[in-house]
Amino acid sequence: MNDQHIVASFDRDLESIQSSVIKMGGLVEQALADAAKALKSRDADLAEVVRKGDKVIDELDLHVKTDAARLLALRSPTAKDLRLVLAVMEISSHLERCGDYAKNIAKRTQAMSGAGAITGTLSDLGRMSAFVENMINDVLDAFIQRDVAKAEEIIERDLEADQIYNTLFRSFLTHMMEDHKNIAVGMHLHFIAKNIERIGDHATGIAEQTIYAVTGKLPEDDRPKYDRIALELHESDL
Amino acid sequence: MDDLRIIERTSNMNDIKISAKGVQVFYGDTHAIKDVDVEIADKTVTAFIGPSGCGKSTFLRCLNRMNDTIDICRVEGSIAIDGQDIYDKRVDPVQLRAKVGMVFQKPNPFPKSIYDNVAYGPKIHGLARTKADLDEIVEASLRRAALWNEVKDRLQAPGTGLSGGQQQRLCIARAVATAPEVLLMDEPCSALDPIATAQVEELIDELRQQFSVVIVTHSMQQAARVSQKTAFFHLGNLVEFNDTDQIFTNPQDPRTESYITGRIG
Repeated sequence: MNDQHIVASFDRDLESIQSSVIKMGGLVEQALADAAKALKSRDADLAEVVRKGDKVIDELDLHVKTDAARLLALRSPTAKDLRLVLAVMEISSHLERCGDYAKNIAKRTQAMSGAGAITGTLSDLGRMSAFVENMINDVLDAFIQRDVAKAEEIIERDLEADQIYNTLFRSFLTHMMEDHKNIAVGMHLHFIAKNIERIGDHATGIAEQTIYAVTGKLPEDDRPKYDRIALELHESDL
Repeated sequence: MDDLRIIERTSNMNDIKISAKGVQVFYGDTHAIKDVDVEIADKTVTAFIGPSGCGKSTFLRCLNRMNDTIDICRVEGSIAIDGQDIYDKRVDPVQLRAKVGMVFQKPNPFPKSIYDNVAYGPKIHGLARTKADLDEIVEASLRRAALWNEVKDRLQAPGTGLSGGQQQRLCIARAVATAPEVLLMDEPCSALDPIATAQVEELIDELRQQFSVVIVTHSMQQAARVSQKTAFFHLGNLVEFNDTDQIFTNPQDPRTESYITGRIG
């Protein structure tokens, strides 16, 4: 089966929205890496770069949505073309949210500058954000290559991100219970961990959209919810 | 939540109106239809799509034996309507065509009055005993074709004096007047403007409350809009036959995918 449209400009339009979304993905990865770096080195200036950079991601999202709407109106795509456009719109929304989380990490980093860190947790946060950054990178590869197996693997991988989050949750709780002076920083760090964990969920969402674009079916959400364990833990510890 | 979803696209495939098995059509040496099996449900709009020369019109014309009028055309296999083989020797093609009405690509009203265009079929098939009966059939048919309000004051004017869209609806009224059970439409909108097209499409949706509609169309968007079932023909083969939403969101055959997404097949 030939993969080119008879109308070549149709191919160019589809190509254009995909490259915009890939560009967004690159910016999100960079924002997350920078936010993690700023957090680790208490670099308020780098955090400011991340905060400002989110605007570009938001603009790209708008740009993708506008172009996709135009494509739907003018080309009436069907079958895999339709699924691709719908998936691109969803992926764009996921990435836009990821950008917001990176921005929030940067904001909290700035708010914490000057305050002492909770020992040990920063390296765990760094490990978690590198892990999730990899998920974003790999899920975009899976999307570009239309690789369903890889996308499924990423959905599985999110379990590990959830587990790291749970460990961190427990550790923040312990620190805060030990010394109430840790509470302000502990809360910020917890939200940062939660933000990173949410980015992992969005990577999963992008993986699901990749599967939809290729197969026309959305995978059913039947994985165990580890967040619930965090809630139970919270109650038993108090 | 199910009641909030799009439900009007359902069709009941348990209620089969037309059943075709192993249909082959030859024009002289040309093998135009190759072993087509298809079941067409009652009270459902079925669309035939495919590139020019794929056999969709030929197959449509088998369903009311219009191909009998072509000397070199030979049809094999079996086509049954309500279980009755329509190619059986005892079947009168004229009676069959009253039961299986047809609307063509170009509006072709008779060079007669609007009234006579619609009254012709019921008259020759003896469906009306009195003038009052006939008047009633003419009015009901014109109403069903959504044309009554536009022509009720000039029923004696020539049918050919109507606009293209009105003429096509007149032809639909004429087809409906003989109380058919199946309506075949061969590109009924290709000569119409978007408004007349929308009127005919709305009409198709209403007609399917009463009978089975089979439409051949080159406009895939039209097939997507009006039909519940879609059949994709390619080089005389029936490549894929499925629910319309499946065909347009997730076709199973790469040839269908190529065609409906506008790729070089």
